[in-house]
Amino acid sequence: MHVTVIKRVKPLPFGNVLIPSLSIVIGVLLASLVLYILMGISPTQFFTYIGEGFISLETLRDFILLTILGTALIISFKGAVWNIGAEGQIAMGMLAAAYVALFTNLSSSPVLGKIMMIVLALILGGMWGLIAGILKAYLAIDEVASTLIMNYIAYYILNYLVRGPWKGKHTYGYIRTDLIPESVHFSTLPIRGITVTYEEVLLLIITLVFAYILLYKTALGVRIRILGSNPEALKVAGVNVKLLTITLLTISGAISGMVGAAQLAGYLHRISYPIETHTPYLGYTAILVAWLSMLDLRAVPIIAFIIGSLNQAGRLLQIAGVGGIAMTYLFIGTILVTFTVLRVFSEYKIKIIRG
Amino acid sequence: MINDNVILRVKGLTKRFPGVIALDNVDFELRRGEIHGLLGENGAGKSTLVKILYGIYTPDSGEIYVDGRRVTITSPIDALRHGLALVSQNPQLIDRLTVAENLILGLSKLSLMTPIRKVYGKLRELSEELGIEVDPNIEVWKLSYTQKQLVEILKALLLGAKVLMIDEATTLLPLNEKRRFYEFMRRFTLDGGSVILITHKIREALEVSDRITVLRLGKVAGTVRPNEVSIDDVRVMMFGERVKEVSHYIGKQIFTRPKDKVVLEVRDLWVLGDHGTYAVRGVDFRVCKGEILGIAGIAGNGQNELAQSIMGLRKAIKGKVLIDGYDVTNKDVVKIRELGVGYIPDSPLKHGVAPDGSIEDNIAMLPCIAKGIIRWSYVRALAEKLISEYDIMTPSTKTPIKLLSGGNIMKVLVSRELSIAKKLLIAYNPTRALDEATAMKVRRVIRRKAREEGIAILLISEDLDEVLQLSDSVAVMNTGRIVSVIPKEKVVREEIEKLMVAK
Repeated sequence: MHVTVIKRVKPLPFGNVLIPSLSIVIGVLLASLVLYILMGISPTQFFTYIGEGFISLETLRDFILLTILGTALIISFKGAVWNIGAEGQIAMGMLAAAYVALFTNLSSSPVLGKIMMIVLALILGGMWGLIAGILKAYLAIDEVASTLIMNYIAYYILNYLVRGPWKGKHTYGYIRTDLIPESVHFSTLPIRGITVTYEEVLLLIITLVFAYILLYKTALGVRIRILGSNPEALKVAGVNVKLLTITLLTISGAISGMVGAAQLAGYLHRISYPIETHTPYLGYTAILVAWLSMLDLRAVPIIAFIIGSLNQAGRLLQIAGVGGIAMTYLFIGTILVTFTVLRVFSEYKIKIIRG
Repeated sequence: MINDNVILRVKGLTKRFPGVIALDNVDFELRRGEIHGLLGENGAGKSTLVKILYGIYTPDSGEIYVDGRRVTITSPIDALRHGLALVSQNPQLIDRLTVAENLILGLSKLSLMTPIRKVYGKLRELSEELGIEVDPNIEVWKLSYTQKQLVEILKALLLGAKVLMIDEATTLLPLNEKRRFYEFMRRFTLDGGSVILITHKIREALEVSDRITVLRLGKVAGTVRPNEVSIDDVRVMMFGERVKEVSHYIGKQIFTRPKDKVVLEVRDLWVLGDHGTYAVRGVDFRVCKGEILGIAGIAGNGQNELAQSIMGLRKAIKGKVLIDGYDVTNKDVVKIRELGVGYIPDSPLKHGVAPDGSIEDNIAMLPCIAKGIIRWSYVRALAEKLISEYDIMTPSTKTPIKLLSGGNIMKVLVSRELSIAKKLLIAYNPTRALDEATAMKVRRVIRRKAREEGIAILLISEDLDEVLQLSDSVAVMNTGRIVSVIPKEKVVREEIEKLMVAK
C-alpha cells in the first residue's frame, strides 16, 4: 500500500467554500481541545462564549473594520504582493486623523473635519504603502519584510508623539492625547450596545463598491490579477510593472489608513500610549480574513463576520478571566494552520493505492 | 490478447475536460522496436494521450497494458517505473539548477546515491552519441527552448526509458541535429526501445515512422503504414472537412521596396547573452514598411537576444535601434509597445500569456486594448473573433487558458499579437506547435498584414521552410552576426543551410 499525491488539473469543486468553512470549524475545535488540555476549560463553557461572540452586537464593529481591511489586503494579495503592513498603515491613518482633529481649525466644522480626517488618513496610509512599493519596485526589497518593519516604525512614531508633543493637558496621569472634539466624533447607530457608526457603514459600502469596480471593471484590476500569476508576461505586454506594484500597495495602504481614522473618530476618540496594545491588532487579523476568503471579494464580509465573532468571543473569555488577549491569537493560529493544511487538498489529490 | 511484440496497449481510453472531450474511446498499440508517429491537429488529443500515459492526467475510463500486464499510472514516477518517459513540449526542468543537477534530480527518484561523476560520464557519452553540445554545468534558464528539449531527451535516456514519448520536441531541431536524432532514434529502437513521436508535421512523421496513428477531435481516425499512404491521405485523416484550408498558397503580390520608408533599423547592435559574452555581435539591418525580413538560423545564435533587445527587454551595450526614425535603443518595453509593435516571444507560456487568466484577461492585459475602465463587451467581441478566426478550441472566452492544449495557447498568443501590431511585428517562431492548417493561416495573415496594412515584419524562425515561404529578404544569423542578407529571388536553399551551420 502506498500513498501518492497528484496535482489536480481542476481545483476541488466547491473547494473555495469547503476549505475555509472546514478550517474555521476544525480550528475552533482544536482551540477548544488545547484550552481543555492545558487549562481545564470545559468545552461547554468555551462554546457558550463562542456562541455569545456570534450574537454579540459589539461584533459588528469588528465585522465592518475587518471587511474594509480584508478588502484592502485582497487588492494587494491578488497581485501576489503581500502587504503585511495594515497595522502600520492603520496607525499612520490614526496619526493623520488625530492631527486634523486636535491641531487644526477644521474640527470646528463637523462635515469638513471628518472628511479631512479621512482624506489625510488615506494619504498617510497610502504613503506607508507607497514607500514599501517603491522599495519593492526599484530595489527589489521584499514587501513582507518592509511592510512588517514599517508597522513598528509607525507604532513608535505615534508613541513618540503621544508621549511628547501630543501629550494631552487633561490626562489624569495617563500617557495619552486629549479627546478629539465632539464635533468630529462619528455618530453611533441608535441601538443599545452597538458600537458601529453611520460613517463607518458608509465607508464600508464605498470600499466594497470601489474594490469591485477596481478589480473587475478596470484595466488595473486585470493587470493586478495577472501580476499575481505571470508578471513576466505582463512586462512583455508593455505594462509598467513597477508602477503597477507601487500603485496597488498605495491603494491597499490608503484603505487601511482610512480604518485608522475610523477607529479614532468612531471608537477610541483619543490615542493612548503604547499604541500597539490599544488597537486590537486588526491589521494582522485581516490577513486571516483575506486568506480565508480565498481572495474572493464576495467572501470577505462573510469571513470577516466569522473572524470578528471569534475575536469577540476571545474578548469575552478575557473579560470572564479565562485568559488574556492570547485567546484570540490561539484561534487565529489554529484556524490558519488548519487552513494551510487543507489547502493542499484543493490543489492536490491524495490517493491511497492498495497492493 | 497477449502479443509478445506489443509493449504498450491502450484500450477504450476516454478523458473529458470541462466542455471538451479530449479523448473519446481511444485504442492504441505500440510494438517493440517501433517508431510510432502520432499525428493530429492542435487539440486533437495527442498531448492528452501521452500525458495520461505519463501519469499527469488520470483517464475517466479505459485500460492501459504494459508488456501485456494491466497497469495504473497515477504519477510520472509510476510511468518511469514502467519504462515510459515523456519529452514534453514545454520542458519540465528547474530553471535555477544546472543541466547536470536537473538530470541528477531525475535520477535520484529511482536510485539513491548515484555518483555524480557517473552522471557526467553518461551525459557526455550520450551527448556525443546524439551530437548535441550541451554544457552540463550551465543553468537551465540560460538555454534556449530547443536546447532545453534536448536536455529533456537526455534526461529520459538517462532514466533508462524503454518507451520514449516525444511531444513535438523535435519539431524545431536544426536540420543536422534532427537527422542525427533520427539516426539515434533508429538505433534506440534496434536495441529494443520504442518511440511515440507526437507531431503535427506530416512529412516528418511519414519519413521516420514505422506506423502512424492519426487522431482527430479525440478519436482515432486510423492507423496506417507510411508506404501505404500519401501525404494527402494523411491530411484528410487529420483535418477531415477542413483539409481544403491546407493550401500552401499564401499570396503572391510582389514586394517593391518603398523609398525612405524604413520602419525598423538596427545599427551595429551588440547585446550580451546570459553567459556574459556577446550573443549579438554587431548586427545591421533594415525592415521597410510592408516588408517581411526573415532571419534564419539555428537556435541559440543570438536571435532571441536580438528580438529581446529590440523590444527593450534586454540591454544593448552598443549600437542603435530605430523605429520610424526614432531612437528607441534601451527604451522601456512600455514605450516600444506604445509605438504599435506586436511581439511573439520565445517561451510563450512564460513571456507571452498568463496561463491562469482567460482569453479575455489575456487580451485586456495589453495597454493598447484597455486603459482605465475596461469595455468588456469590446474585449469579448475581440476574443470571440480570434477564437472563430483561428479555430481556438476552448469552452468559453472565460476559461483559464492553462486548460487549453499547447497549440491552442499558442494560437491565443499569436492571434492576439497579430491583431494589435500596427506598425511592426517581431515574430519569434510564430507557428511553433501549430498544426499545418493553422500555421498556414498564420502565415497568410502575416503576409496580408505586410502587404495590405503595410506593417513591417521581422520574422525570426528556426523553421527554414517558414522563412523561405514568407520572407521578401532572407538574413542568416550565425554566432551573433548577420552573415548575409539575400533578396528572395536570389535565395538558394542549400546555400542558406550552409551559412546557418558554417563555423
